[in-house]
Amino acid sequence: MTLENYNYIRELAGKKQRLDQRKEFEGRKIVIKDNVINHSDGSAYVELGKTKVIAGVKVLNGVPFPDRPADGALIVNFELSELTSRYHEDRINYSIEVGRVTDRGIRESNLIDLTKLVIEEGKTVSFVYVDIVCLNNEGNLFDAANIAALRALLNAKYSIGGKEEKLSLPIDRTKLAISHTFTKINGTLFFDPSAEEDNVADARLSIGLSDKVNSLQKGGNGFFSPEEVDMCIGKAIELREERFKILMNDIDS
Amino acid sequence: MYTERFDKRNFNELRPMEAETGIVPNAKGSARFRIGNTEAVAAVYGPEEVKPRHIEKADRAVILCKYDMLPFSVPDRAKPGMDRRDIEISQVITNALNRAIILEEMPRAMINIRVYITQADAGTRCASLTAASMACADAGLPMRDLVAAVAAGKIGDSVCLDLTKEEEDFHEGEGATDVPIAFLPSKNEIVLLQLDGRVSKEDLKKIVEIGKEGAMKIYELEKKALKRRFSNESKS
Repeated sequence: MTLENYNYIRELAGKKQRLDQRKEFEGRKIVIKDNVINHSDGSAYVELGKTKVIAGVKVLNGVPFPDRPADGALIVNFELSELTSRYHEDRINYSIEVGRVTDRGIRESNLIDLTKLVIEEGKTVSFVYVDIVCLNNEGNLFDAANIAALRALLNAKYSIGGKEEKLSLPIDRTKLAISHTFTKINGTLFFDPSAEEDNVADARLSIGLSDKVNSLQKGGNGFFSPEEVDMCIGKAIELREERFKILMNDIDS
Repeated sequence: MYTERFDKRNFNELRPMEAETGIVPNAKGSARFRIGNTEAVAAVYGPEEVKPRHIEKADRAVILCKYDMLPFSVPDRAKPGMDRRDIEISQVITNALNRAIILEEMPRAMINIRVYITQADAGTRCASLTAASMACADAGLPMRDLVAAVAAGKIGDSVCLDLTKEEEDFHEGEGATDVPIAFLPSKNEIVLLQLDGRVSKEDLKKIVEIGKEGAMKIYELEKKALKRRFSNESKS
């Protein structure tokens, strides 16, 4: 925790104001670039304000898990190194949390039909690896990682065992669970926290939203009242349409 | 459709519970909490000197909390030590306890909390948190309130309280949605909230309500166990 601007941001929050002059539920600009990594089967570079992440998808053959012989596998990993910012506290725990929440959003929405990734039942299936790396941490890694992962999965084209034929992943686009993160500072709720806001926040709520709520994760040392949770979900439902449009922009149907 | 629960419970009924404190005599405070076939044992050491020193806070205590699933607690063997899941759960439990415990009253101190899952049948993070909060109260730490945690959710179309593993694995219809939720009951504060599955805004509201109901029952049991402990001590 750094103390720089600490009290000032909290004071502003009490008056429902933000240091970067955004409105309470105004998100930062999202920029997406596709296929930025040559060696991956699908990749995406996402900027959320000044937060920058790259997601790379690799589809490799593997041996299915013994309890799921007829299912492919999805493995999501998030990395946050010292390279990304000067906020070092709990970096490792935080990156594990982001990775697991991103994983849950994709898995629980059944976005990828894992039963279609079987090559030979019980022996060979496709493993979908999603590796997300943060380059610059300017806050709200949950949403940035989620958008990058979804976009990389959407544009992934892979081939099995050196064959020429390029396949897309078995994705159901009606099931895109898009992450919306809210933060609570000094009693006020804000959407899309910056790094400075993450740093002074009391509590955080990430909502993975398709047509239904697919994942929730409360973070931080503070609390939410049941009414606040309900309000955040209502706001997320309002905000989803715009994020969905940005996410699907230029993706051929 | 899920019209009758696998274990014939009502939809808003908790599994049979047991709570007891002081089961690790070496610790400053300890507790065991059992709900159905899920059992957690928690021990609290401290407040004590902070190690490593660089995590010390000048104005408050720091909590180090570790959740550990014992190798024999699940049908297959769990690998000993902490995996990524254990680390995340430790983190969310710590978040909740940071709100429950009044850290500002113990500056420059560390509180060590260890939780073992001896048996797992769903709802282990909630059982851990309940046990850990009882252990903290048993240790006499200054607290805003006890934490009462329970896994609520939706199976098929039915909103349910305290899911079992068998229910979590339900795949028909909309499948299972699991919502671990923890309250500081007397203050109506949610200190842990996670969700995975598929649920509408309206159903989620019902799930939070049913979770609150369940948490109140757990809260009563926690208080009873702690009172029993201190009345026993005064006799001996």
